[in-house]
Amino acid sequence: MTWVEFQYAAAGAIVCWGIGSILSVFSAKQRSSKTLGTAFLMAGTAVMVFFLIAFWVTIDRPPLRTLGETRLWYATLIPIVGFLVEYRWKVSWLKYYCVALASFFLAINILFPDVYDKTLMPALQSVWFVPHVVVYLVGYVLLAASSAAAWHNLYRNKRSMNKEGHAVSHYLALLGFVFLTFGLVFGAIWAKEAWGHYWTWDPKETWALIAWLGYLGYMHANAAKVNENKLQWYLAMAFLVLLVSWFGVNYLPSAQSSVHVY
Amino acid sequence: MGGNGVEEPAVSWSFREGIFFSVALVAAGFVIEATVWGGQGVLRPSWPWNIIILLLLTVNIVIAGLILKDKPFVKWLGGIPLGLCLIIAMAILSFFGGVMPQGAGKGPLWAQNLGLNSVFSSWPFVLTVFFFLVNLGLSLVWKTVPFKSANLQFILFHGGFLVALACGLIGSEDFRRVIIPLYEGKVTQSAFDPVTKTTEDLPFSLYLHDFEMEEYDPRLMLYDIGGGGYELNEARTSGEITQGSVVSWGGLSVTVDKFLPNAVVEDGTGVPVPTDADRGIPYAFLEGEHEGTPFSGWVSTGSPFERPLELKVGGRVLSLWPGSPKKYRSKVTIKSDESGDVISEILEVNKPVSVEGWMLYQLDYDEKLGRWSELSVVEGVRDPWLPVVYIGFFMILAGNTLFFWKGIKKK
Ligand code: HEM
Repeated sequence: MTWVEFQYAAAGAIVCWGIGSILSVFSAKQRSSKTLGTAFLMAGTAVMVFFLIAFWVTIDRPPLRTLGETRLWYATLIPIVGFLVEYRWKVSWLKYYCVALASFFLAINILFPDVYDKTLMPALQSVWFVPHVVVYLVGYVLLAASSAAAWHNLYRNKRSMNKEGHAVSHYLALLGFVFLTFGLVFGAIWAKEAWGHYWTWDPKETWALIAWLGYLGYMHANAAKVNENKLQWYLAMAFLVLLVSWFGVNYLPSAQSSVHVY
Repeated sequence: MGGNGVEEPAVSWSFREGIFFSVALVAAGFVIEATVWGGQGVLRPSWPWNIIILLLLTVNIVIAGLILKDKPFVKWLGGIPLGLCLIIAMAILSFFGGVMPQGAGKGPLWAQNLGLNSVFSSWPFVLTVFFFLVNLGLSLVWKTVPFKSANLQFILFHGGFLVALACGLIGSEDFRRVIIPLYEGKVTQSAFDPVTKTTEDLPFSLYLHDFEMEEYDPRLMLYDIGGGGYELNEARTSGEITQGSVVSWGGLSVTVDKFLPNAVVEDGTGVPVPTDADRGIPYAFLEGEHEGTPFSGWVSTGSPFERPLELKVGGRVLSLWPGSPKKYRSKVTIKSDESGDVISEILEVNKPVSVEGWMLYQLDYDEKLGRWSELSVVEGVRDPWLPVVYIGFFMILAGNTLFFWKGIKKK
């Protein structure tokens, strides 16, 4: 499977998610169509899981090198977080945000097609490559879901505060922050091995730090019992900073001399 | 989390003061940069001054934390509101550092005068870090004395961060990075320091036996002479080929009939024959059909000493590009001055070697010559503070693992 087949897989997944969401949202009272809706939602994700594995096998290296490749992972994993949250906390709305976000990532990949390239430059051939990138990926996925939950909470809070929703966005942020921390430290240890220093204030590093500080701020604001509605705003917006650190950096004036831009 | 209501600190000394203090601190830093210091950055102490300063700071924080812990001001200085404000201040300063180009002489003049082209060694940043350390240090003293295992996660996180930040920054002046150019068959002892632009002798010498490079498979590219540039093939690959590969572009399909990764054309024959990697270059025999007419022929990547072979098909040209570097390494013998010990090592990207307090990294080579390069550029790094910084890192990792468990179990 390559980027040529990708378009069909992606279109298939988006259609499945779309049908699944419509069935689940609009026929919540009918059990049979609800089950069918869930089946479609799962099928969309199954298509992506299958494509991802086949793609990995074809290119013969972990597909974690280009932004297009990492978007594949987000599109596959974010809905899974949505399903897990529903299973764990019986909160069903998060998965709709998740499939919408995943469809958005797939759409970017369809609109801006990638060229696939089997090569892996020497600096990336390290035992740290996979843990560092995967840990960040999972962190981003959780924080994307946390932000989606926060937006939903803000909307609901206009009528009444919902404690349950706050717990969801909070735990997702907390878990996401744990992964960001692992990613940052793994990255530093790897940089020492590849480039001789664990921290060089490279723009990508700087932005990873800014995003981490952003969520660190949330952790402390939460510990200091800042007002709930403000905390939800904070989580909703913090993800925007994360987006910059993830693919905005390449376009900044500071990035011209970066060794990290890919 | 969120259950931090054990001992309510003096809440009145809270956010407003924290925000005010942080803004004033950063503003003061910028004023110093713009006036007294003129965008020069902070003087960074080197050994042994940095360790003395660090010890003095530690002793003062511990004493203040133990003796003055009931004073509202000290409570505030070590409390969450100030910590939060400083975290945000640091995020905002880092934001400048993440947006403005960093480096001497970069960016607009007003930004240089404010130190915004070297944010991470500017006064506002250093002042913020200083109070970070004070804030973290005080809260750590309180969470550590008396010790409770429930505070372990807090101690690991904050202690680890404190150690890594304090030692990483205050030790940065002791960090050395030198460039060591090695030539095949030659002994080198001197290194160049790109910061001070001076050359110095290392406590050991290096002899380069061989610089080696492995490349990925070469790429088959199609160029449209009529102005279309390089064309993307139908499978949207970057074009690597081996024996038997088929590559297609609009209206053109090419089969790689023969592929010789290392070959040479002996005089007069015109036919490439396989040879060893030192002498040979990649050759491929292509077959295809263009508008109903079959064609075939050899293409090669060429080398710094040899012109490439190309194949013209209609208004387009098929050419073979060398693959990108896969691995490169230097086989060296290292001789220590003091002990006279001789060791043989292989330097490779991601596999540094440690000698006499220096870490040696494979950095670069003569890129024009690629795998024929006889130059190998090695980087030497000395960082005496590294072990302490790593202790900080591992404390953070341990705290993080605890956080993962506790955070999940809480509900
Ligand atoms: C490594 C990243 C960090 C993590 C994961 C973290 C996490 C936390 C958590 C969970 C608490 C609440 C503790 C509790 O409720 O018992 C806390 C408190 C606190 N944090 Fe952090 N923090 C980090 C870094 C920092 C930094 C950089 C600062 C300083 C600028 C800081 C200053 C504080 C302070 C002053 C408290 C209050 C301590 C007290 O209650 O006595 N933390 N932190």
